[in-house]
Amino acid sequence: MPKDAPVDPRGPRFSAWITTAVLAVVLLTGSWRLLAAQTVLFAMCAFISLKLNPWGHLYRYAVQPRITPTSEREEAGPLRFAQGVGFVFALIGTVGYASGLTALGVVATSAALVAALLNAALGLCLGCELYLLLRRHAPALARPQSTPSQ
Amino acid sequence: MTGVWALLGAVAVVAVIGAVLRTRNGRVRAARPGVRLPAPVRALLDPNTHVTLLQVSTTFCATCRQTKALLEELAHRTEGLRHVELDVTDLPDVAAELGVLRAPTTLALDGTGAELLRVGGVPKRDSLIAALRPHLPGPIG
Repeated sequence: MPKDAPVDPRGPRFSAWITTAVLAVVLLTGSWRLLAAQTVLFAMCAFISLKLNPWGHLYRYAVQPRITPTSEREEAGPLRFAQGVGFVFALIGTVGYASGLTALGVVATSAALVAALLNAALGLCLGCELYLLLRRHAPALARPQSTPSQ
Repeated sequence: MTGVWALLGAVAVVAVIGAVLRTRNGRVRAARPGVRLPAPVRALLDPNTHVTLLQVSTTFCATCRQTKALLEELAHRTEGLRHVELDVTDLPDVAAELGVLRAPTTLALDGTGAELLRVGGVPKRDSLIAALRPHLPGPIG
């Protein structure tokens, strides 16, 4: 996995609000196609680079020039881990909705929405803080990224 | 319709998690009884220091840097107080033996390795100082 440079922490918060909105639309419409698109986006950010996140570019061009600059920087490692957690839930949700197991789709999408909204509203990355808990009780969620090259 | 309820439920869950974490974050808690220090932790102890602040971190921890800055500054200004950081990303057994489920978690250990207290999340400076006072010879911070 290539390493990403630290980022302005307000960028990921901005992205998390958009992700929250996308997941809310998925819950209201039950569209597996929209959730599949979000799943692909999560995968690109988690496994390739945060630079592929279109909302990050929107933040840099439309939002960042209008607000006070900050010297605060956030490491990319936790952010990518969070995208990976989002990817797992979104993937399960897509499979649920697309295969007619709507309940599975609703539960998995709700879980992803909780994580995104916690990040957006409270700046909290639950998966990052509870990485140790995940690793102990749900190793499948934590293992794919347990040995990053960063 | 299910989707609307799920959406409302998710928002409620976020509110509850937010409220719980707000009260728990950075609060000084009592030492966890019956913890046997794993070897990598014992290796970090210094018998000549009154208190070692052991910060348990992971690679994916978003607030570990902030915690490190706070504890390093405190240790730098305080006689008999050390700060050490242990990354347990690839040492899940160590985290389990310490009973640590979230990062950062900070354990205050005395010279013999006995746990004095622990803090989950970024510690609150003032309450940490108050809790450490009985264990240190001089002023803190």
